[in-house]
Amino acid sequence: MAKSHSVWTSIRFWRQSAAWVTGFAVVLLILLTFDTMRQIKMGSKRVPAPTVINHHIDYKYSKKRGHEVPVIGKKELFFGKEWSPKEAAALLHKGKLTEQAKNCMDCHTLLGNGAYYAPDLTKAWLDPKWKDMQAMIGAKTREEAMAKFLQHPEMYPTHERRMPNLKITAEEAQALVAFLKHMSSIDTNGFPRGFSKTVSDFKAGGTYAH
Amino acid sequence: MFFEKFTDVYPSFWGWLNQGPLTLTLFLHTIIILPMIWLYFKEKKRLEQEDK
Amino acid sequence: MLTSIKNNHLKYESQKLGMMYFRVAIILFGAQLLMGLIAAIQFMYPAFLYGVFDFSVARMVHINALVVWMLYAMIGSVYLMLPDETGIETVGIGLGKLAFWVLTAAVTVVVLVFIFIQIGPGKESSIWLINEGREYLEAPRWADIGIVVVVLIFYYNVFFTYMKGQRTGIMTVMVANLMALAGLYLAGMFFTDNISMDQYWWWWVIHLWVEATWEVFVGTLAAYALIKIIDAKREIVEMWLWIEVLMLFGSGILGLGHHYFWIGTPEYWWEIGALFSALEPVPLVAMFVHVLYDWGKEQGANGEKPVIKNGPAMAWLVTNAFGNFLGAGIWGFFHTLPQVNIYTHGTQFTAAHGHLAFFGAYATILIGMMYYGIQRAYGIERLKATFKSKMAITLIVFGMLGMTVALTIAGYEQVLVERAELGAGWDAYFVAQALPWMKQAMAWRTVMGVVMVVGFVYLIWDLVTIGPKEAKENNQ
Repeated sequence: MAKSHSVWTSIRFWRQSAAWVTGFAVVLLILLTFDTMRQIKMGSKRVPAPTVINHHIDYKYSKKRGHEVPVIGKKELFFGKEWSPKEAAALLHKGKLTEQAKNCMDCHTLLGNGAYYAPDLTKAWLDPKWKDMQAMIGAKTREEAMAKFLQHPEMYPTHERRMPNLKITAEEAQALVAFLKHMSSIDTNGFPRGFSKTVSDFKAGGTYAH
Repeated sequence: MFFEKFTDVYPSFWGWLNQGPLTLTLFLHTIIILPMIWLYFKEKKRLEQEDK
Repeated sequence: MLTSIKNNHLKYESQKLGMMYFRVAIILFGAQLLMGLIAAIQFMYPAFLYGVFDFSVARMVHINALVVWMLYAMIGSVYLMLPDETGIETVGIGLGKLAFWVLTAAVTVVVLVFIFIQIGPGKESSIWLINEGREYLEAPRWADIGIVVVVLIFYYNVFFTYMKGQRTGIMTVMVANLMALAGLYLAGMFFTDNISMDQYWWWWVIHLWVEATWEVFVGTLAAYALIKIIDAKREIVEMWLWIEVLMLFGSGILGLGHHYFWIGTPEYWWEIGALFSALEPVPLVAMFVHVLYDWGKEQGANGEKPVIKNGPAMAWLVTNAFGNFLGAGIWGFFHTLPQVNIYTHGTQFTAAHGHLAFFGAYATILIGMMYYGIQRAYGIERLKATFKSKMAITLIVFGMLGMTVALTIAGYEQVLVERAELGAGWDAYFVAQALPWMKQAMAWRTVMGVVMVVGFVYLIWDLVTIGPKEAKENNQ
């Protein structure tokens, strides 16, 4: 008889507790989601507006936050022009569509999510590698080098593992570069840490990027 | 050491709770678990009454 | 398994439909292994099928076959247990059969498009017709809508059978959990230009499936299987089930935070993700203890001889308890804290965890359910493991453990060299990929993958032959 007194073996107690905990965790998640939505909407400080492609972007150590943060600098031309808010938004839209249609995520990672067959693209716009690639491709600017590479990656191998030709058009390539530049401006709380830097650069602040 | 200045990009209720030694997560765990104590005693009372 | 439908031992149409789902599931499992093998070879020899069947294609089919075969086996398991738990035939079974054929046709078309068309131009039409390009959710939008319709039919059947028949605790959890599982899919069905927003909702589907609703699903399956296979007491099993729901949802729902460390979301997710997800292994330990405890308790209770009614199913169930704890629990905990995750996020570490967790937590118990279905289909009183059953489980588990260890070593090397030492850039990535230890690990991964494929051949051979063989022996 003593056993029936124990709450610990009461199904009703566990059922009620399970319902409470699940329900309340869901409520908390929804509240947190509302707050996060506000913070990461397009045009916020965490996820800048598409016109960020008209600006110089760097990734620098912030003493206050204890990790690197994107630094949006002065204006610079992107593919030789300044893009209006409407044009920039349309370009980014095209870039995101192309990223999905070409299935980038099943080789690369974006914001660290995806497959692990090719480099992470979170800060790809800032990669110092584009300096070498610019020379190899014979492009005047970084964006031109990226666009040319994306259209014919098989022509510029850097490693035994090569990116295949995904039939990316010139228009799509331009849009993809805009997408990558925009992604590099997102505040990812310091991921990836120490992007493409040596210890001395780390101490001096700033990246190899520019 | 344990209490830090607010560092996040946007101020918010959750971000504010996040400044101390695990204060945000301890707060959330506590409010999730506390009502279970009430559930426990409610169930205990019910079981005792059933026994009578 | 092939002739099981023609057998008259299954009293309910629902259970016959369940067996049909199992058949497609095991074929898709084979497809998954084949694609995995291609991808593994490409890691070693990048020229293999380059430009014809690229890594991205093999990998896409690999992970989609995984998700789809598991959903098939899960739906099959539900149709199998539904009449047992409710005591009645499933309502709308005709509709359920139609849904099966519609779903199977749709899956075939999607796979053919993935394999032959692969990618599209950067337009909305590609997202709708060819490939949505979001890991695990690559199925084009038309298929998404089809899946929703089929799942609605399935859920309608489960819900109204539950309402009409006897309502057990196990079915209560099942019905509530399936609603969440089906509803969450909708969170992955929209397009946004904002990659942070995209990833935020993408994780609602992926995480809240595999680290919350799928885990609870496994808990309900295990509860049902323990009652059927070792005569575990329903009150004990159901009490455990509620405890598991409490702990799985309590830790798993906010554990979602561990995916929000680095995708543009606020810093407060660090704390939420770290501590809630650190508790995620606890219910997995509880499940493990529960299965072994019940097993030990039922054996020899009341002076009876211990009886395991289904040897292979029980073996897979115990593997599930162990694999879930090890793969999801331990390998997940390895890199769940933000201090560690900033380096491990998006490396082979994740691949190691993903392989062992999906296998340990889900593949194992679903294979167990297939064995249980066969036992029922052939009306076998006591299904004993054959030599082939033993070879299958040994080789598959050994192969999977070997792959996990290889990928963990690869991940460790990648984390230290590419991430910590060189900072994750293009050159950093390829320097780490070219190191001998990475190459060795990738070679071992392929070897262990082959071991697993051999185990799979034994498995399918056993699934096809064990029913007729045991039925014959039992009748003699």
